[in-house]
Amino acid sequence: MSVAHIMAAGMGGIRTAGDLVAWMQLTQRMKITEAKEYVAQKLGVNVIDLVDEELMHQVRQDLNIATLPMIADGATGMVAKCRIAELLGIELNSVNKFKSQLDFSK
Amino acid sequence: MEKTEWFKKAAQSILDTDDDAAKEIAQKSLEDGIDPLEMINQGFTEGIRKMGDLFDRGEVFLPGLLIASEAMTTAVAILEDALPDDKKKEKLGVIVIGTVEGDIHDIGKGIIVTMLRVHGYDVHDLGRDIPIEKFVTKAKELNADVVGSSAMMTTTQLGQKKLEDALKEAGLRDKVKTMVGGAVATDHWAKRIGADFFGETPQDTIDKLEKFLN
Amino acid sequence: MKNKIMTRMGDGARVELSAEQVKEDILTGTQDAADRGKIPELNSDDLEQLFDIFADTNRIVAVKPGEEVITTDDGAAMTLVGDQADGGVALPLSMMQSVLTFERVCCADTAGIGHTDYSCKPVKPIVNYEKQKYYTLNQVTTIPLMYGMQPNLGQYFQPDGPFPNPSELLPSGKIKEAREAQEEAAEQLRNDLVFVAKSLYEAGCDGFNFDTAASTGDADFLAALEAIRELKKTTPDMAIELGMSSEFVLGLHGDITFDGVRLAGLYPHDQLKMAESVGADIFGPAINVKATKSTPWNLARAVTFVKETVKVADIPVHPNVGMGVCGLPMYESPPIDCTTRAAKALVEIGKADGL
Repeated sequence: MSVAHIMAAGMGGIRTAGDLVAWMQLTQRMKITEAKEYVAQKLGVNVIDLVDEELMHQVRQDLNIATLPMIADGATGMVAKCRIAELLGIELNSVNKFKSQLDFSK
Repeated sequence: MEKTEWFKKAAQSILDTDDDAAKEIAQKSLEDGIDPLEMINQGFTEGIRKMGDLFDRGEVFLPGLLIASEAMTTAVAILEDALPDDKKKEKLGVIVIGTVEGDIHDIGKGIIVTMLRVHGYDVHDLGRDIPIEKFVTKAKELNADVVGSSAMMTTTQLGQKKLEDALKEAGLRDKVKTMVGGAVATDHWAKRIGADFFGETPQDTIDKLEKFLN
Repeated sequence: MKNKIMTRMGDGARVELSAEQVKEDILTGTQDAADRGKIPELNSDDLEQLFDIFADTNRIVAVKPGEEVITTDDGAAMTLVGDQADGGVALPLSMMQSVLTFERVCCADTAGIGHTDYSCKPVKPIVNYEKQKYYTLNQVTTIPLMYGMQPNLGQYFQPDGPFPNPSELLPSGKIKEAREAQEEAAEQLRNDLVFVAKSLYEAGCDGFNFDTAASTGDADFLAALEAIRELKKTTPDMAIELGMSSEFVLGLHGDITFDGVRLAGLYPHDQLKMAESVGADIFGPAINVKATKSTPWNLARAVTFVKETVKVADIPVHPNVGMGVCGLPMYESPPIDCTTRAAKALVEIGKADGL
C-alpha cells in the first residue's frame, strides 16, 4: 500500500530528489512548495526537474549523493548524508553524531 | 403542561446530565397524569439517543455520557415503578458480550455496553481477552438472545469467526443473533463469517438490534 | 451498463454507482465533515475535481507532474518482514535488507522503523537494543530514517500496567477515580516517551514519529503533547512527526486541558494547532472511514478536513492514508483503485504536503 502511494504521489526518494525535499520538511518545517523551491535552488535546477529521473540521476551523480541505479563506489548511507547536509546547508543529528565520533580530540 | 412539553423536559434533563432534574421530572410527570411508558419512550429515551449522537460527533465525552446514563436509569426506574405489572417494561433482550481472546482493547466495547444497558438490554459483559468457550458457555447459561464480540486487530478478528463456528457446534447459532464490532470490523466481514450484523457506532448497534430482535 | 462508476464501499466491497449517486455521495460527504468540524465545505471546483477522479475509468490514478509530495510512514519497511499483524508480507529479510529495499526498490522518500509491538511501553526496557538497531540502519540509509511508536496509553492500565483501568472504573460510576488514573498514567507515559525518544536521539535519530496519538483518548494526547514540548527543548535537531488516531480526540477523561484548551473533541485543524504549539515538525491527521458509506462519501469527508487543516497550517501536513483512514477502505489490503484516488485527491484538492 505504501508503494501505491509512492507511485501515485511520492517524489521518488533517491531516484530523484525526494529525500532532499524530505530533509527540508523534517529539519526546517518547510511546506512542500517552499521545500521544493529551496532544493531546486541549491541544485541549480527547475522545480519540475526535481522528479525528472533522467536529469536527477546526472545531478546526483555529479554531486556524489547516492543514485539509483547505484554506482558501486559512489557515496551512500552516512557518507551521502554528510554530503547532503553540506549541500543543503542543514544540521542533521545523525551526521553530527557521526562526525563527533570521528573526532579523535574527543 | 402538555405531554410533549414533559417529553422535551425529560430529554433535556438527560442532555444536561442532570440527575436531580431527571428524577424530579419523572415524579412530577406522574403527578400530572402522563403515561409513564410514553415518558420513557418519547422523553428520556429520546434524550439518551441524542446524547449518543453527540458522543459520536465528539461533542459529548465519556464521563458525560455515563452521568447521563445514570440519570436515565434513575428516571426510568421511577416511571417503571408506576406501571401496572402487565405493562412493566421487560428487558429487551439478554446480551452476552466481550472482546475476543488475545485482544485487550475494551474501551469501545465498554461504551457499547453502557449504551445497551441504558436502552433496556440485559447486558452481561464478559470483559476482554475472553476465550471463545466462555462466550458459548455464558450464552447457554443465560439463554442469551444476542452474542456480541469485539476485536480491534485483524489478527484477533479471526476470533469472531471462531465464535460463529463454536456457536454452531454447540447448537446455539440458530437461537442467538450475533453482532460484531471493533475498529477493523465491517459489514463485509460480518457477512463473510456469517454474523448477523456489524455495529459501527453505539447508535448504529442499537438501531440494528431493534431491527433484528423485532 | 454505461454511465456507471466502479468504486468501493468503506469496507472495500466493489460497488457500481451512477454518476449522480457519486456526485450526491461526494456532496453529502463534504457536508458531513463541514457540519461536524464546523469548517467550510469543498467548493464547486473541488467537488467537480473529486468527481473527475472517481469518474476516471483507469484502474489507478496519480497526481499531475510537478504535484508530487513527500511520503513519510509508520514503519512501512517493517511490513516487508512482518506478517498479517502489521499488514506485512513476511519476507525472510533482515531489517537492514528491508529498509534498503524500501529505499532503493520502492523509492520511498523516507523510511520508518520501530519495535515490533510499535508501542512505547514495551520499548522502554529494551531501548538499548532499539538504539543499536537504529544506529546500524542509519549508517546505510541515505533517505531520512524515522523511528516510530504509538504512545498507546491503554498499555498503562491494569492488568497490563500499574494504573487502575478506567474501563472498569467508569461503568461503576467511579468517574473521579477513572480521571485520576488517566492523569497519573499520562504522566508516566509522558516520561517514558521522553526517555525513549531521548535514547534514540543519542543514537543519532533524525526523526521521531509519535504515531496513532490519542488512541486512548485525551489523556493519551496530553502525554504526547507534553513529551514533544519537552523533546523540542532538549533535542531540537530531531524532527518530530505527530500522527493522529482519529478525526476527533475521544474524551475518555473529558476535562483535560493543555495550555487552556480542552483536548477532548478537537478536530484535525484544532489538533494541528496544538501540534504546532509544542513544536512538532510534521502533522498527520487521521480521518475516520465509515465502512457502510461509499468511498466517494468517505474521501470527500477526508479531503474536506485535510484541506482546512492544510489551510491553517504553518508546518507540513501528511495525512494518514493507511487502512480505514482518510478515505481508504477498512480492509487489510486496501484496493489500489481507492488508494491511488485517495492519494491524488488529498494532494491535489486537499493540498497536503505529504502522505
